[in-house]
Amino acid sequence: MSGTKQGFLAVVRREILRMQSRPLYGLSMIFAPLFCFVFFTSLMREGLPESLPAGVVDEDNTPVSRSILRNLDSYQQTEIIRQYSNFAEAREALQKNEIYGFFYIPKGTQEKASSQEQPKISIYTNSAYLIPSSLLYRDMKTMATMASAAVGREVLLAKGANMDQAMGFLQPIKMDMRPLGNPWLNYNVYLSNTMLPAVLALMILMVTCFSIHTELKDGTAREWLSLSGDNILKAVSAKLFPQTMLFSLMAIIYLVLLYGWMGFPLHNGFWPMFAAAELLILASQGFAVFIASAIPSLRWSLSLCTLWGVLSIPISGFSFPVMGMPAPLQALSYLFPLRYYFLIYVDQALNGVPLVYSAWFYVAMIAFIILPLVDISLLRKAAHEYTYLP
Amino acid sequence: MWVKNLLYVCGKELKRTLSDVGVLVFFIIVPLLYPLLYAYLYSREVVREVPVVVVDECRSTTSREFLRKSDATPDLKIVSYCSDMEEARNLMRRHKAYGVIHIPAEFERKLSEGRQATVNLYCDMSGLLYYKAMLSGCTIVSLEMNRDIQMQRLSGLSDWEKDTMTMPIENEYVTMFNPTNGFQAFLIPAVLILVLQQTLVLGVAMLAGTENERRRSGALILGEEYGNPMVVLAGKGLAYLLVYGFTATYVLCFVPWLFHMPQLWQLPTLVAFIVPFLLASIFFAICISFFVRDRESCFLLFVFVSVPLIFMSGISWPTSNMPAFWKVLAQFFPSTHGVNGFARINTAGALLQDVRIESISLWILTGVYFMLSLFIYERMYRSDKMPGVEFVMAMRTRVRRDIRVAARDIKEAGQELKEKLEQRKKD
Repeated sequence: MSGTKQGFLAVVRREILRMQSRPLYGLSMIFAPLFCFVFFTSLMREGLPESLPAGVVDEDNTPVSRSILRNLDSYQQTEIIRQYSNFAEAREALQKNEIYGFFYIPKGTQEKASSQEQPKISIYTNSAYLIPSSLLYRDMKTMATMASAAVGREVLLAKGANMDQAMGFLQPIKMDMRPLGNPWLNYNVYLSNTMLPAVLALMILMVTCFSIHTELKDGTAREWLSLSGDNILKAVSAKLFPQTMLFSLMAIIYLVLLYGWMGFPLHNGFWPMFAAAELLILASQGFAVFIASAIPSLRWSLSLCTLWGVLSIPISGFSFPVMGMPAPLQALSYLFPLRYYFLIYVDQALNGVPLVYSAWFYVAMIAFIILPLVDISLLRKAAHEYTYLP
Repeated sequence: MWVKNLLYVCGKELKRTLSDVGVLVFFIIVPLLYPLLYAYLYSREVVREVPVVVVDECRSTTSREFLRKSDATPDLKIVSYCSDMEEARNLMRRHKAYGVIHIPAEFERKLSEGRQATVNLYCDMSGLLYYKAMLSGCTIVSLEMNRDIQMQRLSGLSDWEKDTMTMPIENEYVTMFNPTNGFQAFLIPAVLILVLQQTLVLGVAMLAGTENERRRSGALILGEEYGNPMVVLAGKGLAYLLVYGFTATYVLCFVPWLFHMPQLWQLPTLVAFIVPFLLASIFFAICISFFVRDRESCFLLFVFVSVPLIFMSGISWPTSNMPAFWKVLAQFFPSTHGVNGFARINTAGALLQDVRIESISLWILTGVYFMLSLFIYERMYRSDKMPGVEFVMAMRTRVRRDIRVAARDIKEAGQELKEKLEQRKKD
């Protein structure tokens, strides 16, 4: 029994030495995740972009249109930086990226307003830049509504209506949006919560696959296997153990960064998310071992792991919901550990739902961990017989 | 003579590229399939029929009309009517619904009294698109109903009263350049450009890694055609440019066409912009490929960079709101300028003069990375064709030595200062 323990530790020691011998490991296991952690959280530290540049075009140039312009109060997220003399000029500014959107008050606005026709002012945004465009739209819509209400209100109030009646006429039904969990619509919350673990999972998939297959490539696989008493399960788990520890440290760093330092919503406390992060690490390692065993070529298995890691970012559904994807991809999304991590995060951190509702997502992650049991014998065979083909 | 050498190097490099399956994966297969996968993923552009539940405490004709119309919008789909908020919340917990439309009991009464009535919308924030769908769906309905209510109220007035009444000014929304306001038209141009740059980096790095492996084993023998670094770099650059002429045409023209995405570019503008982009990417790739030791390490070193790079381009989080440090760093990557230029040329129909800044930046980057590659290559060549790794190691030792010397100097200076201060204190 003591012999087996020695074997495990011997492989662990050997792996630590291997990791130290090449800067590549340090770069991909420590530098890459840390860089991305700092990058994403600092890039969007404002949470919501402020003072997005916008413009106005007033082709009517009447008391009504001028009063609308006057009433377009600046909002926190929108800053009207310029008035353009005509539509073409504003469009050009949009194309040049000087502004992300503009108001357009067409000729005849005043005339229509006083002759029972429906006058309209238009809001144009450059949707090639979706986030600033949607944010601007939200602000500009409110600004336009408020401005026209102000204009109408002046008239109604002058006629003796009170404020309640005036608003009741101008906007009988009003929408009251109540975003749950992220009432500030904070983009950092929305993106970093998934981006940080996504980058970590990508690195885990690649490093795991790479470190196993370089043994085959360099012809050290037999030595590795014999050190663990020709037990492939022990060989793999001992080899990956120091990596698991290092990745766990990275996970703790990003958890502390997100929920401690940045103070993002964490409704059910630390442990459910910590468990999710640990399971994500193990699930990614499990998946990578599964691929590395199934495909006995460094390049192809590494390519597949990379594809999986990169693809998991959009397919996890955090930016574009899975239900909006074509059906085959919806089905495919079940094969990505990050998808389950995202679902757990939504339940446990963002919405604070009782743990039982997320139970299946945890179970799915565990399934990825035991996945390699299916084909790990192939890896053992490969370790004995493999020759490297570039 | 040098033209012949250049063509020789170019031909050799083409042969090496086309006979290496690993490199072909990056140069051909990934650019071939990956954009298709991505475009397919976002092919529905927006989320439709977001499942929502309803808590209608008013139960009047107007409230029912509101709900019926909301259900009829393409954005929303009412999946259940709940008796109270708790029941609605339960459905949200089980991911059966992503929002609640709550109509308060006094809704109808307020309307009949001519006051403002409120509809409450609760929305799951796990995806911003749910929020967007709910907001736009219900806003459309409320605008439509508001107009009807106004007309009804106006119908009781005399003509004279109507004339003096000001109609509220409406607003309409026009999304320019991306008519469906969709994800595909917004994200795919950025992804396409990034795929071009990153596959170039990975492929060139793999070639360099292979070269270094062979160099270490002594199997690499270069002919005298490789004597002039300028010619070697130009030859290699030309080879990659030839391959990427085809790849870029497929990625930037065919893929958007296949998915019926907006394509407003004009050919001269597109060509005049993409050539410097490819050149900058090629020499950027050559430049960093010097640091790659073996074939497969390029995966671990360069793949993850794509994720921050797409954000650095400013296609998602606006450039105007980035911390200065990242804004500056972003300038060093061809993809930043490539994405911004291409997105506008392709999606907004911009002409070359509209993307002048991006285009000039790309030419500058081409120059900078060419010179840098030249410098590194020349050093390698001079010090007896020193292979990449050893060169980096040598540079590192030299830098370390310099740092050590500098540190010692600083320390000594500090000590001197301390001594002087103490001396002064004593005096």
